[in-house]
Amino acid sequence: MKDLQLTSNPKPEPPHELPTPEMTEDAGSQALSEALRSSFAIVKILMIGLVLVFFGSGFFTVGTQEKAIILRFGKPVGEGEKALLGPGPHWAFPSPVDEVVKIPIGQVQTVASTIGWYATSVVKEASGTEPEPGPSLNPALDGYLLTGDQNIIHARGSLLYRISEPGLRFTFDFADAAKLVQNAFNNALIFAAANLTVDDALKDIPGFREKVALRLQQLIGQEQLGVIVDRIDLQPIPPRKLKPEFEKVLAALVNRDKVLNEARSYENQTTSRAKSEAAVRINGGITESNLMVQLVVADAERFTELLPAYRRNPQLFMRQRQQETLQRVLANAEYKMVLPGVANGKPVEVRLQLNRETPKPKTPGPPPAEVDKH
Amino acid sequence: MKYNPLTLAIGFILLVVFVLLLFTFQVRTTEVSVVTTFGKPTRPITKPGLYFQWPWPIQKHHNFDQRIHNFESKFEQVLTSDGYNLLVMVYVGWKIDEPELFFPRFNGSPTRAEENLEGLVRNAYSGVVGKHPFSQFISTDEKELKFVEIEKEMLEKIQADVRTNHYGLEVRFLGIKKLGLPESVTQLVFERMQSERALQEGKIRDEGTRLSEEIRSRANLESATMLAQADAEATKIRGLGQSKAAESLKTFEQDPALANFLQKLEGLESFLKERTTLLLDESTSPLDLLKPTPPASTAQPPSSAESGNKKATRGAQDIGQ
Repeated sequence: MKDLQLTSNPKPEPPHELPTPEMTEDAGSQALSEALRSSFAIVKILMIGLVLVFFGSGFFTVGTQEKAIILRFGKPVGEGEKALLGPGPHWAFPSPVDEVVKIPIGQVQTVASTIGWYATSVVKEASGTEPEPGPSLNPALDGYLLTGDQNIIHARGSLLYRISEPGLRFTFDFADAAKLVQNAFNNALIFAAANLTVDDALKDIPGFREKVALRLQQLIGQEQLGVIVDRIDLQPIPPRKLKPEFEKVLAALVNRDKVLNEARSYENQTTSRAKSEAAVRINGGITESNLMVQLVVADAERFTELLPAYRRNPQLFMRQRQQETLQRVLANAEYKMVLPGVANGKPVEVRLQLNRETPKPKTPGPPPAEVDKH
Repeated sequence: MKYNPLTLAIGFILLVVFVLLLFTFQVRTTEVSVVTTFGKPTRPITKPGLYFQWPWPIQKHHNFDQRIHNFESKFEQVLTSDGYNLLVMVYVGWKIDEPELFFPRFNGSPTRAEENLEGLVRNAYSGVVGKHPFSQFISTDEKELKFVEIEKEMLEKIQADVRTNHYGLEVRFLGIKKLGLPESVTQLVFERMQSERALQEGKIRDEGTRLSEEIRSRANLESATMLAQADAEATKIRGLGQSKAAESLKTFEQDPALANFLQKLEGLESFLKERTTLLLDESTSPLDLLKPTPPASTAQPPSSAESGNKKATRGAQDIGQ
């Protein structure tokens, strides 16, 4: 650049100082100087353009779900949260003076646990071509968790988290923060399982998850990872080899509930039946007793009414009542027979034949009693 | 020769840039640095910013990543204090703390530092894990579980080793990443789990039967008790009724003969109410009217009428059914 300026400036001067003995040379050098001048102008424009581009390259925009920080000579510009630039356009000196680092604060990140699941692949799992479970688990290939009662289960989890404000620690303090979050998650899984029984770990997934979350929270605090846990998903299963055994226990549980429900409904039925029967019996007693009392009272009333008449002439009274009653009885009787008390000086003998073969006693027909006279 | 001021300015700027490049260097916020003078570490730098140095070959700077690194040990077999073989893998968070120690020790290579850490972790395995029984790694009893304590002990041991060895590192944290059992042991665990499941299945089934029988028998007992109580109650009510009825006896006591007579009449009537066959002899009143002539005077005394009546009823048979 400097060379160009130094060489190009003196050249146009000779035509002014030495007026032309040789016109052909002058014309040639003039043309050359013209050419140089115009190319120099182009270079100038280019340079200005380059300078503009250089400074213009310092513009950058920050997205809605991120923050940015400017490092000037490697050092953050501003202190703590003030150093953070929000969404919108910003400008910084181009490299090597400034460096812009963007922090994806609002974005949800996902990590999956890397321990606890048997050796398989997504493809194999999706296509259902997983190998049959072997009699044992190879520690180099198969992941699993040990439960507090010294059993083995498989479990996998996924963790959704966000970088918490201001996000400086997450960005600048860890070589691979995501990996550390993942390991904390792995550790939380092991820790939670180590304190649970196999049944709790498999059946009480919310409880398991809570333990994992609690431990994870502790680790995030201890290791100062600077993240917020959004959600934890867990999928614990029994070892594949023991799947039928675990299913049998489940079936037994279901069956037990069924049997118990049946027993309970029997209990309900029986006791409610007994209740109603008891009520019937008590009410029967009440009715009977009331009836009896009423009858006796009625009898007593009748007695009191009749007593004066009876006292006037007991014999007549009794005879009349007897006759009345007898008349009613005789009137109501279906068959009546009058026999002489004594015939030919002998007592009269009556024989009854109860015939079982003619089941039509309701129609008035031949009398069911046969009377013989001797 | 005349110089354009613009040219001069540009030249000056370029000179400044060149000198700056020669005499300064940057330490990024994620880095630490050490400046060596003739190859000897002379100045450690732990704060970010722009720093001065003499140009090569006098001084040279070496920048290192000072962020926390994640180091994972191998999945190694360790014997617990009660003789169980346990497989343990840990992750360790470490960073360069004193670059002037770190640089000569590991030639500035984090990989070499991690190789050394591996040895320290192995020491911690035998020194710490070997002191604890298996039940302190996994246990349903929270008091017995010493998971966190074991991690802490291992971390402290490694931190102490790092300090005494002057590695220039800082070990920030340590966590167990994986726990396992040797392959042959997993097979034994499976067998035990299998028998445990069978046991549990039987237990659940028996429990179901037992509980349902308990419920049923309780229901039966309850209903029987309820009925017995109801019977007792009903009997009591009847008794009350009877005693209340007995109060009316006083009325009848005025003339027991009449009371008796009335009751008899009533009894007779209700006894012979329906579908009755009566065999009567002619002496029964009023059938005595059927006799040719009643010779003499008086009506039959009630006693004889009664006896006739008795006969009649004795002879009566309800043959309707």
